[in-house]
Amino acid sequence: MITIFKDRKDIPQDMEYVELNDVFFNQNTVSMLDEKAGGIIEQIDDSKFLGKYKICSRFNDVVLDIDKLSAGCKTVLNVLYYPDKVFCLKECGNNALEVLYGLDEGNVYSDYALIPFNMDKVMVWNGTEKYGVNDYEELKGWWDNEK
Amino acid sequence: MKSKPVIMEHFSTVHTSFVIDFSFTNNVTILTGDSGTGKTVVYSFIKECMAVNADILCLNYLDYQRDIKDIISNTEGKLIVIDNADILLDDDTRKYISLDNRNQYLIIGRNPKNLFVTKENLFEVVSRKRGEQTELSLKEYL
Repeated sequence: MITIFKDRKDIPQDMEYVELNDVFFNQNTVSMLDEKAGGIIEQIDDSKFLGKYKICSRFNDVVLDIDKLSAGCKTVLNVLYYPDKVFCLKECGNNALEVLYGLDEGNVYSDYALIPFNMDKVMVWNGTEKYGVNDYEELKGWWDNEK
Repeated sequence: MKSKPVIMEHFSTVHTSFVIDFSFTNNVTILTGDSGTGKTVVYSFIKECMAVNADILCLNYLDYQRDIKDIISNTEGKLIVIDNADILLDDDTRKYISLDNRNQYLIIGRNPKNLFVTKENLFEVVSRKRGEQTELSLKEYL
């Protein structure tokens, strides 16, 4: 399951934080893509994965460079292929959040709540330790600093 | 927040097989919604219009190192289009935008904090096929 940080100070010093998911994807993740990416790209962007550097657009079936994926889709792929880094969550739409929350591992950061309507269990930091949360209201409360 | 658009009530352009046809009802329009619905596609087509339309200013993650508030506070009489707004706009800039009546805004993002917007400001992109063309327009989000 993924781990969520709501305070930049909680991110361990040996973990890189990436805010610009577009840039990181275009420069790094793109070279790692394999068949795992295809399902995610289809699920989030409704586009077909034609290979490492190409997708087929949902709008007009034109073949596009893979840099045209949405920022939300790029974020999910960054988290999937780089589970040792922490990525900004803020550009994920609900459809990307649903996929993201279902990943086996990975790390994300946002200082405000971004929770999909259908959520899986996630790990969160309370400043000193991390623990599991599988309830929408509990997770919202954690993000809003409720006890 | 309801305030009449100060620059334009309508924007349309064509980019190859894509037709953009937007009607603005507020001075601040938040373009939101699921990932992959075409928000950044719209941004790229509007940005192309910057070359021929002096009333448009576009900002996105490529401007991450720049002072966004400084840029917009020194701008007058433009439709300012901001993609990746959730990482570009800090609280101070958001408050400035909410009170700015010299420019109009199309903000692409999901966080309405400090923009003092209501559901009347929230829109999503809808696409419709018309023969070989794809028409992109605005629809109320809520």
